[in-house]
Amino acid sequence: MSAEMANEIKLISGRSHPDLSDKIAKRLGIDVARTISLNYSNQETSFTVGESVRDEDVFIVQSTATGDVNEGLMELLIMISACRTASARRITAVIPNFPYARQDKKDKSRAPISARLVANMLQTAGANHIVTVDLHASQIQGFFSVPVDNLYAEPSFLRYIRENFNAEDCVIVSPDAGGAKRATSIADHLNTAFALIHKERPRPNVVGRMVLVGNVEDKVAILVDDMADTCGTLVKAAAVLKENGAKSVLALVTHGILSGNAIETLNGSVLSALVVTNTVPLGDKVERCPKLRVIDISPTIAEAIRRTHNGESVSYLFTHAPV
Amino acid sequence: MVRNIVVLGGNSHPAIVDSVCNALSLPPCNRILTKFSSGESRCEIQDSVRGKDVYIIQTGFGGNGSKLNDHFMDLLIMISACKTGSARRVTAVLPLFPYSRQPDLPYKKAGAPLFKTGGSENGKKDYTFDSVPPTPAPGVPRSAGLVNGADINDKLSQTGLTNGTGPQSPVKQTNGNHVNHVNGAPAPGALTRAYTTHDYENLSHIGAFEAKPGYKQWVAQAGTLVANLLTCAGADHVITMDLHDPQVQGFFDVPVDNLYGGPLLKRYIQQHVPNYKDAVIISPDAGGAKRATAIADSMGVDFALIHKERRPTKITDRQNASMMLVGNVQDRICILVDDLLDTGNTITRAAKLLKKEGATKIYALLTHGVFSGDAINRISASAIDKVVVTNSVPQEKHKAALGSKLDVLDISPIFAEAIRRVHHGESISVLFNHD
Repeated sequence: MSAEMANEIKLISGRSHPDLSDKIAKRLGIDVARTISLNYSNQETSFTVGESVRDEDVFIVQSTATGDVNEGLMELLIMISACRTASARRITAVIPNFPYARQDKKDKSRAPISARLVANMLQTAGANHIVTVDLHASQIQGFFSVPVDNLYAEPSFLRYIRENFNAEDCVIVSPDAGGAKRATSIADHLNTAFALIHKERPRPNVVGRMVLVGNVEDKVAILVDDMADTCGTLVKAAAVLKENGAKSVLALVTHGILSGNAIETLNGSVLSALVVTNTVPLGDKVERCPKLRVIDISPTIAEAIRRTHNGESVSYLFTHAPV
Repeated sequence: MVRNIVVLGGNSHPAIVDSVCNALSLPPCNRILTKFSSGESRCEIQDSVRGKDVYIIQTGFGGNGSKLNDHFMDLLIMISACKTGSARRVTAVLPLFPYSRQPDLPYKKAGAPLFKTGGSENGKKDYTFDSVPPTPAPGVPRSAGLVNGADINDKLSQTGLTNGTGPQSPVKQTNGNHVNHVNGAPAPGALTRAYTTHDYENLSHIGAFEAKPGYKQWVAQAGTLVANLLTCAGADHVITMDLHDPQVQGFFDVPVDNLYGGPLLKRYIQQHVPNYKDAVIISPDAGGAKRATAIADSMGVDFALIHKERRPTKITDRQNASMMLVGNVQDRICILVDDLLDTGNTITRAAKLLKKEGATKIYALLTHGVFSGDAINRISASAIDKVVVTNSVPQEKHKAALGSKLDVLDISPIFAEAIRRVHHGESISVLFNHD
């Protein structure tokens, strides 16, 4: 075996989202590495490695399943640490939906900045590089002292809108002020109108009063956000848009966490569709919710892995979605 | 009353938090520790910790509907929250240290998730081991094994502890493991596995796994990682009890106080075992010999050891070990001493051997009673007369299931005293050898 043969991509999959890992592996034309994660009967996670990662370029794909975030995170840390022990040349953690991304600031006394803790833990475990999609706040990249590639679902969304709607009939709506930048960027690319909803949030997972800024009358209102959790915000926003004369309302969201009663809330809402990417394992939610549509993000992630491995620029992916 | 100190409890063991706080006569710190609906932990510390000496109690135990990894992550988040909340010092108090056991081989000891077995080639696939209910495995009911009404003595008499039962006796294959019950005969030479895991419904995922030809599969060791994560979260000090591997102490860059449960177990023997001077203290494996001899020596009691012999004739016979008793237990009371009861495999097998060697009564004293998997059934069906554990993990459920067969010792005074001494900067070595 020649020297160039070594240092290939090793794609390791955690338990949380094997479907995404398989799709990425298929795109890259490789097999997922032979490893297995299990839980001991005392609930400790064990990770068994069945092939060499010595001097290889290791990419560990682990999303975090809704409700099982800590389990997935711990598994990821153990996998990273195992690969480091096994002399991998570089370990890249591919975390499509970054856990604890919303706990990124000390918003009240003694509140934990868990996103920073997660960043520290990943580095402590031995991650040399992070690949993620649509971080809730891009400042989270600053919590790391290793490179973070924050990919965007935006090009995929743009293609979806262009393929399914006439851009002139649409208005892009941000459901909160924080997401305005994300929404205006899409509106600019499509050359459409933009509107914003201002909301008050008294407690987590609870939404207060909402005010619409902008005109949506007789338009297809497209809500754009980075995550849909309990969907309370989206559904209320959709109702506000409908009240203000929108022809129809749909939502484009990167991370479909869809926890709690999200599916029931969606089914009973005025939203005509919720479009998410497959960064989060959706399980049976697609069957349970006819309004749910899924865009495959694996080509973007696979291309990022390929480019990272070959030392090419990743910024092309910020504006283009691989077909 | 102790000043300037905050005791913060996790969700894994509320009872011990309360009793430690009682012993220190201070209220536990108010906090919110739940989960968001997305599954992320939510932690809010409601009392001030600025400039305080904070002790966070969280044990490495999942069960009763909660998960070990959740508890561990909660602990890290609490440590980090206190640190960013300007606590002067944060001490993690882990009565049972998670991931401390570090099985280094896929098939070592009960609780290991994977192992090779040659069992299926024997044509005795449906064999059920004597006192040991089988491990939950794909396609196996949760508690097959010793059915009600089976005569334990009859079962015990069939032990394959002698070496003459043939090289591939199924009994001997179960050493440290469990009989393989995976349905469907695999291809000859293929690996088959049994699992002590809650993943057994996830057959397709497991079934596809096989190491690359020529590569020896290995299991990742999480001990160092756990130690590093605790320091990375901001723990300045760690207090734990009876670490399975004392070497774990060396994984930390911060001080670790490893308290001993030995004195507590010793007191139990002196108070509750009749004629304990004539009893024999047994270590169920060579690794625990030091722990057991320390107790035996300090009480002037005889000591014996169970030796697990592994003499492979070929690689696949690795687990065909037999157990040997070193010492005499004929017509005597036996006291098994070990640090951890997980699935209870080691201890029940040891008890069976002791019964066969003529022991009259068998006590099992362990610091940590995790009772995972089928441990409760296994202990109930075993030759052990009394199991004694500490409340380093919640024991209420286990006590309800095992009744008078289980005695629980309270370790909260030891931890309370350790916290008090650490806080005041006094020596805690006194706690290591008090009676």
